Amino acid sequence: MLAGQGFKEVYNLSGGIMAWDGGVAKGPVELNLEMVREDETPEAIIKLAYGMEQSLASFYRSMETRTKDSELLKLLELLASIEDRHKQYLLELYKSIEPSGSSREVFEADVSAKIMEGGFDGDTFIKKNEKFLHSVLEMIDLSMMLETQALDLYLRFARKTDNNETKTMLFRIADEEKAHLSSLGRLREEKTL
Amino acid sequence: MFETIKKLFTPVESIDAQQARAYMNEHAEGSFTLLDVRQPAEYKTAHIPGATLVPLPKLSDSYDQLDPEKPVIVY
Repeated sequence: MLAGQGFKEVYNLSGGIMAWDGGVAKGPVELNLEMVREDETPEAIIKLAYGMEQSLASFYRSMETRTKDSELLKLLELLASIEDRHKQYLLELYKSIEPSGSSREVFEADVSAKIMEGGFDGDTFIKKNEKFLHSVLEMIDLSMMLETQALDLYLRFARKTDNNETKTMLFRIADEEKAHLSSLGRLREEKTL
Repeated sequence: MFETIKKLFTPVESIDAQQARAYMNEHAEGSFTLLDVRQPAEYKTAHIPGATLVPLPKLSDSYDQLDPEKPVIVY
C-alpha cells in the first residue's frame, strides 16, 4: 500500500513483532502523554527529561540502601552515575540553546523529579518492584525496561508536539536513550557470560 | 508517466529483526518512520519503542500523517 503512494523506501519487518528480539514497550499510544502539551519549548522539554533522569538516579541510589550484595551495589552505582551523565548531557543541550540561561542551581530548582524515566512514579515503583530486584541481571533487565519505556515516551512526545524545535530536541534525547539501551544490552551480555 | 509507473512499482524490501535493529541504531530518530499497522490492543500489549500506530484498515486514510520522503519500516 505504501509503495504505491510515493513512499520512496519501504521495509517490511519479516516475521513482524514476533520476530523482534529487542526490547518492547508496553501501553497505549496515549500513555503518559498528559505530561506534555503540544507547545512546550525545547527548554521545557529538557527540564522535563532532566527531572526524569534525576528521579531515576535517586531510585538507583535508594535501591543501594536496600541491599548488601557487593555486585549489586556496584551495578546500582554504575546505573546512577550513567543517569548523572545524562543529566550533564541535558544541561549541555540546554546551554547550547540558552547560552545566557540559568545557572545549574536555578535550572535544577525549576525541575520536578517525582516521575522517573518512562513516566513511572518513583516511590510507587519501588514498592511494587522491590521484591524482584535481588540480582544483577534482574536490575539490568529492569533498567532496560525503564529505558525502553523512556525511549518510547520521548518519541510519542515528539509526535505530539507542534513545535519543530522541540521535536528535534526530543529526537536528540531519544538518540541518547538508544545509545544507553545498547550499552545496557552489552553489559547484560557480559554478565551472562 | 514514467514517474507514475515508478511510484506504483517501488519495491518493498523484507528485512529481518537484526537488520531492522541495526538500521534503527545507525539512523537518527526522526529520519525514518517505524510503522505499526496492527490494532491498538496489540500495540498496547507490546510494541517496538517509537513505533507510530496506524492500524491497517486506516492506513489509506492516514498517508498525510506520514512523510513519504522518509524510509518506513513497517510491521
